[in-house]
Amino acid sequence: MNSSIVTITTFLPAAGAVLLLLHGLFWSRQGADEGRLDEQYRWITLLVTLATFAASLVLLSGFDQSQAGPQLALKAPWIGALNVSYYVGVDGISLWLVILTTFLMPVAVLASWHVGRRVRAYMIFMLVLETGMIGVFVALDMFLFYLFFELSLVPMYFLIGVWGGERRIYAAVKFFVYTVVGSLLMLVAIIAVYYLNGGTTFDVIEIAQNVAERRTVIPEGVALWLWLAFALAFFIKVPLFPFHTWLPDAHVEAPTAGSIILAGVLLKMGTYGLLRFNLPLFPETSVAMAPYVMVLAVIGIIYGALVAMVQPDMKKLVAYSSVSHMGFIVMGIFAFTELSLQGALYQMLNHGISTGALFYCVGVIYDRRHTREIAEFGGVATPMPRYSTLFVIVSLSSMGLPLLNGFIGEFLILLGTFSSRVPYARLFAVLGATGVILSAVYLLWMLQRVLFGEVTRPENERLADLDWREQAGLIPLALLAIVMGVAPMLFLRASQPAIEKVQKGIEGSKVIRVSN
Amino acid sequence: MNLNELNLNYFAILPEIITAVAGVIVMLVDAFSRDGARRANAALAVAGLLAALLAVVGLWTGGLAPAGATAFGGMVVVDELRLFFSGIIVVAGIVAALLAARFLRDEALPPGEFFSLLLFATTGMLLMAGAGDLVMVFLGLEISSITTYVLAGYRRHDLRANESSLKYFLLGSFATAFLLYGMALTYGATGTTNLEAIRQAIAQGAVSYPSLLLIGAGMMLVGFGFKVASAPFHLWTPDVYEGAPTLVTAFMATGPKAAVFAAFLRVFAIGLNAPAAGVGLQLHTTWLNALAVIAVLSMTIGNVIALSQRNIKRMLAYSSIAHAGYTLVGFVTGDRGPVGFYWGPVAFYMLTYTLMNLGAFAVIQLLARAGDERTEIADYAGIGFEAPALSFPLAIFLLSLAGIPPTAGFMGKFYVFSFAWESAPDLRWLVIAAIVNSIISIYYYLYPIVVMFFRPLQPGFVKPRVGGAVAAVLIITLAGTFYLGLLPNRVLGWTSKAQVSRAR
Repeated sequence: MNSSIVTITTFLPAAGAVLLLLHGLFWSRQGADEGRLDEQYRWITLLVTLATFAASLVLLSGFDQSQAGPQLALKAPWIGALNVSYYVGVDGISLWLVILTTFLMPVAVLASWHVGRRVRAYMIFMLVLETGMIGVFVALDMFLFYLFFELSLVPMYFLIGVWGGERRIYAAVKFFVYTVVGSLLMLVAIIAVYYLNGGTTFDVIEIAQNVAERRTVIPEGVALWLWLAFALAFFIKVPLFPFHTWLPDAHVEAPTAGSIILAGVLLKMGTYGLLRFNLPLFPETSVAMAPYVMVLAVIGIIYGALVAMVQPDMKKLVAYSSVSHMGFIVMGIFAFTELSLQGALYQMLNHGISTGALFYCVGVIYDRRHTREIAEFGGVATPMPRYSTLFVIVSLSSMGLPLLNGFIGEFLILLGTFSSRVPYARLFAVLGATGVILSAVYLLWMLQRVLFGEVTRPENERLADLDWREQAGLIPLALLAIVMGVAPMLFLRASQPAIEKVQKGIEGSKVIRVSN
Repeated sequence: MNLNELNLNYFAILPEIITAVAGVIVMLVDAFSRDGARRANAALAVAGLLAALLAVVGLWTGGLAPAGATAFGGMVVVDELRLFFSGIIVVAGIVAALLAARFLRDEALPPGEFFSLLLFATTGMLLMAGAGDLVMVFLGLEISSITTYVLAGYRRHDLRANESSLKYFLLGSFATAFLLYGMALTYGATGTTNLEAIRQAIAQGAVSYPSLLLIGAGMMLVGFGFKVASAPFHLWTPDVYEGAPTLVTAFMATGPKAAVFAAFLRVFAIGLNAPAAGVGLQLHTTWLNALAVIAVLSMTIGNVIALSQRNIKRMLAYSSIAHAGYTLVGFVTGDRGPVGFYWGPVAFYMLTYTLMNLGAFAVIQLLARAGDERTEIADYAGIGFEAPALSFPLAIFLLSLAGIPPTAGFMGKFYVFSFAWESAPDLRWLVIAAIVNSIISIYYYLYPIVVMFFRPLQPGFVKPRVGGAVAAVLIITLAGTFYLGLLPNRVLGWTSKAQVSRAR
């Protein structure tokens, strides 16, 4: 049980997808009522995602918080001829990301309840996507990681392309091509790292250990290229300025659930990859490149926030706020202090929850009015009090109000960056901090224009408030935002050993020069 | 050479005998039945090919002839290279035969000749894969080429098919002439047509006119380059692939390609691979460099031109040129194998390419309807969820061709590229070029998927009925695509014997 729980969590959604497939093949032929069938598909998917969440909680209960290395691991030979193994497990970094994924999936399924077209295919893609995402986080074999990394791409491509908005084709193809460009370069880097380590294993933990203990030395010139290949793949995924242009398109065109998953989980694959590959495998190069990455991150923070401010479309606003927030996370990662790394990891979770919730809120109002233009609304709080309360809470959490989760993450990142020894880190921290202020500006301004004041348009007078399933999706997110803001140690403790290990790896490279 | 050294072991050519005899039987059955026994012919052809596959397996396990043996005075070789490629060829033949019954019925074409031509073509290809002598290479090539010319023009009232057939014939003959002249010059230089003997001659410096050998090898390179559809010898490919009946295109793009690659490997990796002596070394470096250039050209030209194609058969034609390029990357770097020439990546790549290409063409054939009328990609608009049994497999085959895991196409690329990266550090630019090309190719492989799933359905689409034979083809190719993508261990194990030791 111990070693198979990770596998079970990963493949439970895929099993659900097979179930839906079989269900469609064997029951839908008997002329059953389509509406009823669709309802069944929705419930099956919801139950499968809930079961997966339960499985991930079992995973959590079996997790030993004092260990740094991968736990509950399962390593079995897979493609012996290529030295590829099936190696999955969780450590303090991936544990929470797995739980974030399994937690957001039922929410996303609830957010897709109104999808009325090709429900079965939609739900199958959602479930395959979940397997792909969990797989990315638990895979400890580079080959397996690559496989899941690409596997998560295809269903999202279909979700955007089939169920998306007007410019969905453009957005879907752009999303696919951007990501694949990055990941194919990463594939070359994976092959190169494999051979530099002696060509015996794709086990990233072992290779990182070899690098840390100097048994594997990657020559400096080569390391830069390999670092760039990995980093490009992950920077595109994050997305870091200037690789972000696919994101607003994808977000705006994706269905609500697609946006929730995209912002909540898929972007985290990028930052997770940086933590799992770039930092441990190339500590020296990471240190050397840190100032440049920080510059891009800070540009992203400010640029994203400024662009978000002028968006007339709510979804675009949230999308650009993602660019800004993800910049924070990258800044935290490349400050290399324990606090900033912890903050980055925490902010990954926060961003998943609050941005997921924001997209949910935008989706709720879009369902009612079929528009997301801010100018179309005003005074929505009068007909929709419950909705407005939740919308305000998640917005505050996203802008980093104390006692809500965003504050903890941003505070840790800024504090950690300020004390970092990366050149100009203080300057970056100060510049980055303006992003917090700007985020308050654009989010509060949006809330004011959408929720408060007089009801300006007659269509908005009779908007229905949240129904049971919308509440079931949003309330847990808001509650979690509060819990994570009040009791961060509950989450941070488990990730501490793993983060310390990453940080030690960087420190051990001994090329950080004291500056400032 | 006495009679024993000739080694007239008929078991060594059992697969070829089976397919040839089956071809004759099909002709006889057709002649004696009144209204063209389509079903009986199809069943006979499939049975014959299955029996040939069994014979290949028997040879592989060593039950029929000792491995590494030669037969008929060195004309035929029994080794893993031959048998692996024979397997690919026979599978391509089986798929074509399964698809043919429906095609022949829908278009009211005579069945007997078709199946016998198919079987004879397979015979020729099998001979090519097992040739130990330049004469045998040529013989196999001619048998398979001439039959394929006819197959390409089988729909004889169709102008496009006629164009396709004639073009294939003219340019194919042109290539054959190159090849034959090259062989003649090589014979002139070394005094033998036996590949093993040629290698010995070069290794011992017993070459009478070194420049003849170089010119001869260059001409053979051009000839083979034509036949595997590599750039800059690719110009015939798009027109021929587009005009031929889709299932013949499927067959042409896979079977002959695999067979020619096998012969290509034999002639260059065995016959002309003796880099010890002066002219041998010069020859060796020259053909490797030439192949590297051809590989890059094929990948780049194939992929870039495929971007602008609006007809799916033309698109796959250019894609096939690009895949010849990827395969050549494995070919060039195979020279750096740990013991000798390592042809494993080439063989594995050909197998993956064959499976996914056959699958894609099977769907296209069904969607194209009688007369291949609907082969524009725009014709596929919106059929994604209308005909999921066809559109999803096609999407999977296209993603596989693009190299997205967990499919065979990804595993093939991974195997070729990772082997190349490790074994040939000075040729890593070739891998980078291949990766850049894979990125380009993603774009056009996605296009039919976009059209099928993301565009609205056009009026007038009639969902084709998926018959048993087509279903079998789809199941075989899909299962193969995922099997090789997820659990390639066994097949990779087969290619681990893929060493051809080299005379140093």
